[in-house]
Amino acid sequence: MAVTIFSIMIVLLLLGFPMMIPLIVGAFVGFYSLFGGMGQMETMVQQMMAGIRPASLIAVPMFIFAADIMTRGQSAGRLIDLVMAFVGHLRGGLAVSTAAACTMFGAVSGSTQATVVAIGGPLRPRMQKAGYNDSFILALIVNSSDIAFLIPPSIGMIIYGVVSNTSIAELFIAGIGPGLLILVLFSIYSWIYAVRNNVPTEERATWSERAQSLKRALWPMGFPAIIIGGIYGGIFSPTEAAAACVFYAIILEMLVFKELDFKGLYDTAKSTGLITAVVFILVGAGAAFSWVISFAQIPQAILAGIGIDEMGQIGVLVVISIAFFIGCMFVDPIVVILVLVPIFAPVVNAVGLDPVLVGTIITLQVAIGSATPPFGCDIFTAIAVFKRPYWEVIRGTPPFILILFCVSALLIFFPQIALFLRDMAFAK
Amino acid sequence: MSEDEKRSQLQSQTDTTGTDDAPLEVYQSTLPGFLGTIDTAIGRIESLFLAVGVLLMAANTVSNVIGRYIFQNSIFFSEELNRILIILITFAGISYAARQGRHIRMSAIFDALPVKPRKVLMIIIALVTAVFMFGLAWYSTQYILTQAGRGRVLPSLQIPVWMILVWVPFGFFMTGLQYALTAIKNMIEKDIYLSTNVLEGYDDEELEI
Repeated sequence: MAVTIFSIMIVLLLLGFPMMIPLIVGAFVGFYSLFGGMGQMETMVQQMMAGIRPASLIAVPMFIFAADIMTRGQSAGRLIDLVMAFVGHLRGGLAVSTAAACTMFGAVSGSTQATVVAIGGPLRPRMQKAGYNDSFILALIVNSSDIAFLIPPSIGMIIYGVVSNTSIAELFIAGIGPGLLILVLFSIYSWIYAVRNNVPTEERATWSERAQSLKRALWPMGFPAIIIGGIYGGIFSPTEAAAACVFYAIILEMLVFKELDFKGLYDTAKSTGLITAVVFILVGAGAAFSWVISFAQIPQAILAGIGIDEMGQIGVLVVISIAFFIGCMFVDPIVVILVLVPIFAPVVNAVGLDPVLVGTIITLQVAIGSATPPFGCDIFTAIAVFKRPYWEVIRGTPPFILILFCVSALLIFFPQIALFLRDMAFAK
Repeated sequence: MSEDEKRSQLQSQTDTTGTDDAPLEVYQSTLPGFLGTIDTAIGRIESLFLAVGVLLMAANTVSNVIGRYIFQNSIFFSEELNRILIILITFAGISYAARQGRHIRMSAIFDALPVKPRKVLMIIIALVTAVFMFGLAWYSTQYILTQAGRGRVLPSLQIPVWMILVWVPFGFFMTGLQYALTAIKNMIEKDIYLSTNVLEGYDDEELEI
């Protein structure tokens, strides 16, 4: 049965069906063959509804809403100016600024696409003018935006937390370490690139200019403070932090920057609602699917088939990494998380792995896979946003993917990179 | 096609959880006469539900946080209200997303196909999707009837559970209808349509063939 279900799903997916259909058909075939007919289809609907029920999922539309408000406003531009003022004059400074601005905006928005648009949009022309090669620029923007997956808030982590019953707050904090490590490594690569290609440096900003940009960025800096500070300090749950962000974003863009009127707010809410619906129908269908494959004991069969019992913790982490990486090369991250997390859940428990570490590693793989050819979804975001051909977008990616692979390996062998902050914040 | 339209269509194939500034065009039905009026009206209602749903959810969640930290008092029905709203948003939204051609799909292979097979495939995709949506509309109606028979209510709000679920079959049905209409539209028109009013737009040259 498992082979039939997965083959059908993969075929539907590759043919270009809306992604909810492979999940729904997979669940449908599962329910049909498991219960010998249409008798339990009501249970399938019930499981779909149960899938979108968890209260912590409310953080998803709230973070999307906050990010949506900000991308329409001034927050992104002010954050870019701040980073530029401080590192713009270094060798490869413009590239480093881009990476840092992507990381910072990731900490504000939680969405790769929003980051590509808000940071990549204005910075790409500046980098081109400074003499960087376009393939390098595109690869840098796509891969740096993927750091947004790891830096809280992260939609992928919220969904992983709900599906695997793991603390979302702990996941958020655990993502910071690897996210910053990637930023540092990308910056080093940018520096090497700039030295080798002899890219001229920018003019150094004066201290008064720096103070000025710091003052202008003070308001947008409130977002990471709310999210990371609030969760790290145990003041907010992730959903509460998301709500606080929405409130802050509305005040900022409507009252302080006066960038958004009521009509704008209404339109933003509508577009947020649409994105939410598209994600939540996947979450619901994924829940029905994972219920039926768990009921049929398919995960155990698959895991026994690849002999995972003899692999030990490191082996299991390697298998999980490869599975998620390959999955995300082809499919949307949310779908991969919804399908694969329940499959690996039994073995994660059995070998006693920390689900927060597993979640961080999965999120990292999701980030890498999304930027990896052939079909990583961020490549297509970049194609759509910058209107550049496929080949040009992917040509610069190998060094970045290599760096990300190194970070994956480091994370598997030195889990403290992720768990250090978590242990400090939650006193484990 | 304007730049904006092109962008929103490109994004329709790649967009995931991301936010974007692609404006959502006000939905205008392409059905003839009276049916068109009804379809347009339903589209408007769906978009109203989406926007109001998100705004209410934000207001509710924000007030709950303020209540908890400033007045040391949570709103007792806050969680249930969000549960009602998320069902409303999801099921008004899947139909609206179908109208706008915004459901996430992996279209790389699809896009690489020549025009003819691509059109046939689009018709098959739309028809199969419609069948499953209608099926889910039917079974979710059954599910609601079962729930209504049990007479369960939400603990705080005392609203019967089946009432908060009425959007579910409606949303599935409207989504199925949109995909069925998309299939028909692709059968009678020359171009390839992602939804009834979104023309496929990945490569302009190819469309002119």
